[in-house]
Amino acid sequence: MTVTLYSVAQSIAQAILGAIASVLPPAGRGVASAPVVTGLAVLLFAAILLVASMLNTIVLIWFERKLLGRFMDRRGAMHVGFAGILQNFADGLKLARKDTVRPREADTLGFWTGPTAYLVTSLILFGILPVSSGWNSGVLPLSLLLALAIFSFAPLFIFVSAWSSNNKYSLMGGMRSAAQMIAYEVPLLLSVVAVVLVSGSFDLTTIVEQQQNYWYGGPLLLALIVFVAAMLAEMERIPFDLPEAEAELVEGWNTEYGGMLFAFFMLSDYVRALVGSYLVVLLFLGGWTMPTWVPSTLTSFPLAGIVWFMIKTYIVFGVFVWVRAALPRVRTDQLLRVGWNRMIPLALLSVVLAAGVVYAKCLPVFGCVPGLGG
Amino acid sequence: MSEMWINMGPQHPMTHGLWNLRVKIDGELIVDADPEMGYLHRGIEKISEDRHYNEVVTLMDRCCYVAGMSWEHLYILASEQALSIAPPERAEYIRTMADEFQRLGSHLMWYAAFVQDLGLMSPFLYGMRDRDLILDLFQSFTGARMTYEYMRVGGVRNDLPPGFTDRARKVMDWLVDRFREYDALCLGSDIFRKRCDGLGVLSQAQCVELGVTGPMLRSAGSSRDLRKDRPYSAYDRLEFDVARADAGDVTARYLVRMEEMRQSVRIVRQILDWLDTHPGPVMAERVPRWLGAPYAPIGREDYLLKRRYPKGVGFSAIEEPHGEAQAYVVNEGGEHPYRVKFRSPVFANLSAAKHYLVGYHVADIPPIMGSVDICVGECDR
Amino acid sequence: MEPGEWERTLRASLGEAVVAVEPFAGTRGRVRFRAGRALDVFRTVHGAGFTHLSMVGAIDWVDHREVFYVVWSDAAKEYAILSTDVPADQPRVASATSVWPSANWHEREAWEMVDIQFEGHPDLRHLLMPDGYAFHPLLRSFKLHEPEELEVKVRHV
Repeated sequence: MTVTLYSVAQSIAQAILGAIASVLPPAGRGVASAPVVTGLAVLLFAAILLVASMLNTIVLIWFERKLLGRFMDRRGAMHVGFAGILQNFADGLKLARKDTVRPREADTLGFWTGPTAYLVTSLILFGILPVSSGWNSGVLPLSLLLALAIFSFAPLFIFVSAWSSNNKYSLMGGMRSAAQMIAYEVPLLLSVVAVVLVSGSFDLTTIVEQQQNYWYGGPLLLALIVFVAAMLAEMERIPFDLPEAEAELVEGWNTEYGGMLFAFFMLSDYVRALVGSYLVVLLFLGGWTMPTWVPSTLTSFPLAGIVWFMIKTYIVFGVFVWVRAALPRVRTDQLLRVGWNRMIPLALLSVVLAAGVVYAKCLPVFGCVPGLGG
Repeated sequence: MSEMWINMGPQHPMTHGLWNLRVKIDGELIVDADPEMGYLHRGIEKISEDRHYNEVVTLMDRCCYVAGMSWEHLYILASEQALSIAPPERAEYIRTMADEFQRLGSHLMWYAAFVQDLGLMSPFLYGMRDRDLILDLFQSFTGARMTYEYMRVGGVRNDLPPGFTDRARKVMDWLVDRFREYDALCLGSDIFRKRCDGLGVLSQAQCVELGVTGPMLRSAGSSRDLRKDRPYSAYDRLEFDVARADAGDVTARYLVRMEEMRQSVRIVRQILDWLDTHPGPVMAERVPRWLGAPYAPIGREDYLLKRRYPKGVGFSAIEEPHGEAQAYVVNEGGEHPYRVKFRSPVFANLSAAKHYLVGYHVADIPPIMGSVDICVGECDR
Repeated sequence: MEPGEWERTLRASLGEAVVAVEPFAGTRGRVRFRAGRALDVFRTVHGAGFTHLSMVGAIDWVDHREVFYVVWSDAAKEYAILSTDVPADQPRVASATSVWPSANWHEREAWEMVDIQFEGHPDLRHLLMPDGYAFHPLLRSFKLHEPEELEVKVRHV
C-alpha cells in the first residue's frame, strides 16, 4: 500500500490516541475508537497540509525575491537567515504586529470579510490539488472543476474589499480586477477543455497519470500558451497586474489595507501564484510522474513524486518571475482587447486541435497511445 | 460612473515628488487636469536676497535633486554677468563637463523612474546602478554626491583630482554599452511601444505656445537647443548633434533623451581630452584667492572694504536636463543680490499638463508624466 | 540687430509706448515700455518673431515695481527682455496670456510673490502658496527674520 498523507495522519492520530488511552482508566478507553481517530486524523491532515503549503508559499516568495534580484543585478534579501530565507518570516511578523487601520467611512463587514474570504478560498485549493499521488484530501472525480470553480471566486472578494474600503483608487482597482478576471476566465477554461478532451477525465490524478510518457504540453502547446497567459492575468502578475498598478492606482484594490489584512492579500496572491504553477504542472507538464525511461534510482527515492513536482513548479514559477523582470504592464483596454479578441479564438482553436488529437487517437511525435480520449 | 475628480498626490507613486495632479475622469478617460504646485516651495528666491553671492550656490543644489550642478552653473553664469567677472578657460571646460555629467545623471534617473512607472522594475535598478557611477565621479572631484557646492563666482572651487580623466573615460565606455541594453529592453518590447506610442502628443506649435522646452520640445520636431543656439561656457568649442524626433509623443521623448545621453558621452570625451592637455588655473585672477575657498562669500569682504562691484543685471539661460532654465540676477552693489529670479523648465512644462493629458486614459498618466521628467524641487523652488 | 536699430523699428510701430531699448548682454536688448500699452507691445514683439515667452518676473524697487518678460525668437536665435515699471500703489499691467499662453503660471507666481495685478488673466489664484495666503513674500517689506504667525486655510477637494 502506498503511503499517503492521510494514512500518515491516521497513524499519528492512532499512536497519540492509543498512548492516551493506555494511561486512562478503562472507562476512558473509548477515546481511541474509530470515529475519534478519524476525526483527529482529518484535523492532523489539514494542519500538516496547511503548514506545509504555507511554508512552500513563503519559500516561493523568497525564491521570487532572489530570482528577481538576480535579474535586476542585485542580490535580493540577504541578511535574515541563510541567504535571507527567513526574511519573509520577519516581514510576516512585522505585518502581524502592525495595527490595521480602517477608514472611517469604510464598510466594516466588507472590509474584514473581503481579505479573509480571499485568503480562505485560496488556501482551500491546497486541499484539492494533488502534489503527488495520495497527497490531497481524497479521491475527487471532479477535482479539476472544483479547483477552477474555487479559483474563480477571487474577483468577488476583491471587489467586495475594494468597494467597501471607500476609496476611489480601490474602487477603480476592484473594477479593473473584476473586468480582467472575467475576461480571462473564459480562455483559461477553454484551454482546460482541451486537456479534458484529450484525457477524458476531470480528475487531476488521472490526468497526471496519463501524462507519464507524454506531456500534454507537447501536443497541446497552444492550449499551454493560452493557459499560462490567462493564468498570469488571473494571478494579477506583471504584465497583467493593472488592478494594483502602483504607478497610477497607488496599490489598486488594497490601497486602504495595512497590517495583517494586507498580509492576507499578499499571501493570497502568492498562494494563487503557487496554485497557478501547480495547475500548469498538473495539466501540461506531467505532474509528479517521471517518464518510464528515467532510471528508477531517480524516481524511487522517498517522496520522489513531491520533489519532481516541486522542481517543475518552481521552474514554471521562475518563468513567471522572468516575465515580470522583462515586461512592462499593459493597459486595461489593451488587456481586455487581447483577452476577448485574441485569447478566446486561440483557446477555441486549441480545443479544435485537441478534438483532432482525440479523433486520430494518436499524438504527433509520441505515436498512437491506447486509452487516449477516455 | 459619472465624472469625478481624483487627487493624484501629494503622496502618490506617480508624482515622483511632492505635487498634486488633480484629474477629472470619466470612467478611465481623462477629461480635465489641473496640477497643483507649491508643496515644496522653500522660497529660494527670497532666501537668496539674504545670502552672499557664493552662499546662494548652496541653495541652487537644493533646487533640483537630480540637476544641482546645472542650477549652480545657471546661477553662476548670471552672477558673473551681474558682477562683471569672467572665469578662466579651464574652469569653463570643467563646468561644461560637470553639466554634461549632470545631464547623464538626470537622464539616467529619469529613465529609471519612467520605465518603473510602466511596471518594469529591472530598468529602475539598471538606471540607478549606472547613475551611481556618475555620482562616484562627482564625488571624486566635488566631494559630494548630490549637493556639490562646486562652482564659484569666477571659476570652480578646485581642480580635478589626478587620474580623474581616465576614470571618467572608463565610465563613459561602460555607459555607451548600457544604452544599447536600455534600448533593447524598451524599444524592443512590443508592450512598451503599445504603452508609449502616440501618447501625450504635443505639436511643435503647441510647445512654443505653452512654453514647453527641452527634450519635450525637441521630440516635437524642433531643434532648439541653447547649447547650439546660444552657446555658453565651452559648448561653442565642442562637437555634438542636437537630438531630435518628430512624433511629439512619449516614445519620441524617450528617443530624444537616449540620444542626448549618447551626445553627452561624446561631449564629455572631447572635454576629457582637452583637460588632459590644458592645465591652468580654475579661478579668475580678479577674484581674490580667498574667494575660491569653500564658503568664502564673494561680496562680503569687498563690501566691508568699501570695494563695491558696479551695479549690474545678469541674465543667463542654459539647457538644463529638463529644458531651458534661466536666471535673472540683479546686483545693486550690495553684499547680497538684490533680486534673483529663476525660470524652471519643469514649471513651464508642467503648466501645460492639461494639454497633453486630456483625452488619454488614467493608465496613461504615469508614462506621460514620466516622459515630462518632473523635478518638483526646481519647479517650486 | 543692434538695440538702437531695434528701438527705431519698435518706435515706428508703437510710438511712445516704447521708452527705450537698452543694450543688455547676451540678448537683443531690454525694451522698456509703458505699462498702459503693454498689450500693443506684446503683440508687436510677438509679431517680430519672439513667439516664445520664457519667463515673467517682477522686482520690487520699493518706490515702484518692475515687471520683466523674457522672450525668445526661434528665427533670430536670440533672447529679448521686455520691462515695464508700475507704481507700487497701483501695480497693474495687462496680462500677456492672450498673446503668449505660457505666461499663465508665470503671472500667477508674479502676482502672489510681488503683488502685480495682471488684468485679463484667466485664472489669477495662488500657485506656490496655499489658498488664502495673505502675504506677498518677495516684496522687500516682507522680512525674512521676522516670522509672522499666520493661519493657513487648506482646501480639501
